[in-house]
Amino acid sequence: MDASLKELAKLEKLASNSSSSKGKSPCITDSLDSLIRSLRDTRESIQTGAANETTFSGLSQKVDSTKKDIDDRQKEIYNSLAKFGKALDKRFTTPLPSYQPLFSSPEAVAALERTIARHFLRTGQFETAETFISESGVNVDPTMRSHFLDLHRIVTALKAQDIAPALEWAACNRAFLESRSSPLEFHLHRSQYLRLLLSPHPSNVSEALNYAKTNFKLFYPRYAADINKLMNCMTYAPRLQLSPYADLASPALHYDLEPMFAKEFCANLGMSRQVPLRVVGDLGGGGALARIEKGRKVMRERKSEWSQADELPIEIPLLPENRYHSIFACPVSKEQSTDTNPPMMMSCGHVITKDSLQKLSKPGGRVKCPYCPNESQVSAALRMQF
Amino acid sequence: MAATTLNVDGVMLFEQPFARVPYENYRKVFRTSQKNIEKELGAIQTAASELARKARSGAANPEDALRSIDAMMKRAEGLKKKLNDLQTNSGAPTLQVIRERLQHLAAVEDIESVRSPEFARWADTRLDRWLIDWTLRHGREKTARRIAAQKGIGTLVDIELFSDIRRIEDALSRHSCTEALAWCSENKAALRKVKNPLEFELRLQEFIELTRARKLMDAITYQKKYLIQWQESQAVQINQASALLAYTPISAFGPYKRLYDLSRWQTLIQSFRVAIYNLSTLPTEPLLHLAMYAGLASLKLPACYNQETTNIDCPICDPDLGKLATEVPFSHHVNSTIVCRITGKIMDSDNFPMAFPEHGTVYSREALEDMASRNEGQVTCPRTKETCHFADLRKVYIS
Ligand SMILES: [Zn+2]
Ligand SMILES: [Zn+2]
Repeated sequence: MDASLKELAKLEKLASNSSSSKGKSPCITDSLDSLIRSLRDTRESIQTGAANETTFSGLSQKVDSTKKDIDDRQKEIYNSLAKFGKALDKRFTTPLPSYQPLFSSPEAVAALERTIARHFLRTGQFETAETFISESGVNVDPTMRSHFLDLHRIVTALKAQDIAPALEWAACNRAFLESRSSPLEFHLHRSQYLRLLLSPHPSNVSEALNYAKTNFKLFYPRYAADINKLMNCMTYAPRLQLSPYADLASPALHYDLEPMFAKEFCANLGMSRQVPLRVVGDLGGGGALARIEKGRKVMRERKSEWSQADELPIEIPLLPENRYHSIFACPVSKEQSTDTNPPMMMSCGHVITKDSLQKLSKPGGRVKCPYCPNESQVSAALRMQF
Repeated sequence: MAATTLNVDGVMLFEQPFARVPYENYRKVFRTSQKNIEKELGAIQTAASELARKARSGAANPEDALRSIDAMMKRAEGLKKKLNDLQTNSGAPTLQVIRERLQHLAAVEDIESVRSPEFARWADTRLDRWLIDWTLRHGREKTARRIAAQKGIGTLVDIELFSDIRRIEDALSRHSCTEALAWCSENKAALRKVKNPLEFELRLQEFIELTRARKLMDAITYQKKYLIQWQESQAVQINQASALLAYTPISAFGPYKRLYDLSRWQTLIQSFRVAIYNLSTLPTEPLLHLAMYAGLASLKLPACYNQETTNIDCPICDPDLGKLATEVPFSHHVNSTIVCRITGKIMDSDNFPMAFPEHGTVYSREALEDMASRNEGQVTCPRTKETCHFADLRKVYIS
């Protein structure tokens, strides 16, 4: 963007139309002022009777030279504008692709509207959500709206270092959290304990101790080691940063509670841990569209129609957090497993698809593993469910 | 390139209209200034040379000369004020919008990782911009204005352009071409350059409305005045239109009936929209749609549409996004990736997959070890409820 910004600065200077904005030609205001002065002078000489033929031909020349100055200045601005346009051309070499209308059926529009309304609610933009819901008439489950209000209220409290509402929720949903082995409730208490312990007033050490006594008991069976560590922190407080437990002094310990809470809260309502529209938008706008277009171009140039029209011609790299499903590609056939061609584990533990297994099988129903010396019965292979 | 490295080119692919719309706006401001200069200074030039000519021929009298000078002065001062106002009210603000947008884009060029908080904030704003673009294109202007106000990103979105579009489209749906024709005349040169026949289509519609109302004399006058000049490129349509003088909407048939069809107004709205998007360098599809097309396709798998394998964390497994994803292709994968259904983590040689011996359900070592440590070495499959000792699990090798 540097080149464009540089050209823009030049343009801004030329266009600002003040005497200080130097160009090759004077700025337009100055030219017009000078013309107005000449007109005034001419007027005076007419009134005093001093005007003659030369006065008027002089004025006419002045007007012409003013016009020329202004034209020159406009040309300078025009050229600068064109240069700026060229800098933009250089920065943006690829135009956006044009597609057939997408998501335009009434069902698709409704689905997208619900998605957008939920996005506003989920990201705590409640007023915007209200406006959008009334403007588009989209139907949003009112209980979901109240859930999101709850979420927002609790996360706002967490941001303000008030863990009480989050704790209340966690206690109500203890069984759910345990079923997911979620450390949320323990981490909330841990945060509170550390805050008390590390607060600038030393007197709070006893308060921290009391807090630990009342609240950690429940978690001892699962978090014994963690709790012992936390109790040892007492020895080093308040200079925890310099102790073996420096990691417990990190502010991230407290910040991380917000996403952790949101994740559990959403999971409890059967909702995703990330904001779905952000995930999809970041992927699409973070290189996926560019890659897809490039892949299609290569296909066109090779004049080879992609054999599977319903599948992208290229692989889009994904972050681990955006891998939601297992994919099994058979190391023998390179094909993706399907319901009818599932992954099968031979007795050695190596996995290939059922079709490959069948192809490799020898008379007597035995198969030699292509990846190790093991030989086993085809019938002994176990179907994998990832 | 690691998946966490920000793909700046991929990001910039979407940003061309973002930079171009205010640039085009500024060019319009420049053209307006040029028009004013030519008109006013041209008039002053004519007056001054006329005055000089009269003085040479000795025909000048002081009163006339004074009147002429006063008129020139008024023009010069008027022009100065007009140009200053134009710069203050349109030129400078537009340049400021360009600057803010370029700086916004420059900021993303410096971001290295998609995991950085700077990028998260930038992407938040980008999604807000896309949502505003979407809501404006779908006539949800109040929502658009509210997002812009709440996020303070008024200079990063084109609300005015879209409310202009809406105003003109509303007029067309009320069967009035006036507003659209005014827009055409403002953009005459640009439309001619891309050979866009919108103006002709609008003129033709006005002619059709005159024949529909059976104002035949008016229609003939109109045809001479506005249609004939398109003879070269639109001869067939002009000839067909002439026939409407003979046919009423009831007696018309074939192509003539089609000209009378009221759905032509809908087509005009479409044509206008394509023309103004084109001239403003906006894509015909909302930016959100383009991003979603690619984003959904990157994630879409057959597993998303199978009840047994859905994952609530997966965007495509959401019924609404899954419905939208039916319009995009499936993702393509060359290598295996096995994701633990308990922890959500990708398994590898450290955190390897382990299978229950009876049903072959697979989980990560970490998840199963954690389960075993809390249940005296016993593990239970959450899906099949199969229970066994940790030692009886089978290690799975994925190559
Ligand atoms: Zn093997
Ligand atoms: Zn899915």
